[in-house]
Amino acid sequence: MLSALRNTLRNPILRLFHTTSSQATEKFDHKRIPLDDEGVQGEKIVDLDSVLKSKQNLFPTIESDDMLFDGTPYKNLPICNIRISHNNTILTLTDAAGSVKLIKSCGIEGFKNAKKGTNIAAQTTAISLATKAIDRGFKTVRVKVRGLGPGRLAAVKGLQMGGLDIVSITDNTRVSWNPPRPRKVRRL
Amino acid sequence: MFITARLLANRHPQFIARTVFVQNKNVDDACRLINRILGKEGILERYRLNQYYEKPFKTRRRINHERCKAIYNEDMERKIKFVLRKNRHEPFPGCY
Repeated sequence: MLSALRNTLRNPILRLFHTTSSQATEKFDHKRIPLDDEGVQGEKIVDLDSVLKSKQNLFPTIESDDMLFDGTPYKNLPICNIRISHNNTILTLTDAAGSVKLIKSCGIEGFKNAKKGTNIAAQTTAISLATKAIDRGFKTVRVKVRGLGPGRLAAVKGLQMGGLDIVSITDNTRVSWNPPRPRKVRRL
Repeated sequence: MFITARLLANRHPQFIARTVFVQNKNVDDACRLINRILGKEGILERYRLNQYYEKPFKTRRRINHERCKAIYNEDMERKIKFVLRKNRHEPFPGCY
C-alpha cells in the first residue's frame, strides 16, 4: 500500500490532482540536504570514547604487569589502600605482597567526630602518610580506592601533594548485584 | 589469552579491572576518568542502592518510574530534535 503510494508520488505522470499553483520552485532533492549536524562538543561534556581514543596506555594490558616504574615492575610496586566512608578515611601503605607498613586515619591525625569525614581531613591525612612513606623509602605507589565519600578525590590528591608518585588508580569498591540483605533503612 | 587465564584463576584479579594509569602525573584526570567510567557502568549506583535494604514495593516503584522517565526522555528528545532542526532544504518554508 505504502510502496504503491510512494510510486504514484514519484511518478510525474500519475501525480495527484491539485488546484493551487505549485509554490515550490524546484523539486525536493534529498541529496542536497546537508548531513546531520554533529554539534560542537561542549566545554563540560566530554565524550568518553574520544578521550579513550586519543590516549594510549591508559588501561592495563597483558604487559603492564612487567612494565617498569622507577626500575620496579608494576606488580612489585607498593600499594596504597584508601578506605573511604562517610565518617572517616583510612589509608594504609602495604608492600606488593600486602603486608601493612604504614597506617593512618583521619582519627589518628587528630580530627575528631564529624570532622573526620571531611575532605580536608582526608587530604591532610594523605599528605602526612605520604611524607612518612617517603621517609621509609617508598617513592612510587599504586593506589587502590574503596568506598564513596567526601575524601575520595582529596585523599588521592593529598598523596600526590605529599610527594608520592602515583602510577595507577584502581577502584576496589565492594559492589554486588545480588548481595545479602543490607541493613534496614535509616529512619530519622 | 593471558588476561583470560588470569581472570579465570582469580575471580577478583587486582589491578586489571577498574584500573587507570596516571599520565603525566595528572592524578585529577585519572580520578575523573575512573569515576566517570564507574558512573556510566552503573557501579556507583548499585553501591548506593545496596547501602540500605530496599523494600520490594519501593523497588517496583523505582523501576516503574525509571521506565516512565526513559520513555518520556526518548519522546522529548525526538521532539526537541524536530523543533530545533536546522538543516532544511528550504531555509524558510512557507515564507514566500
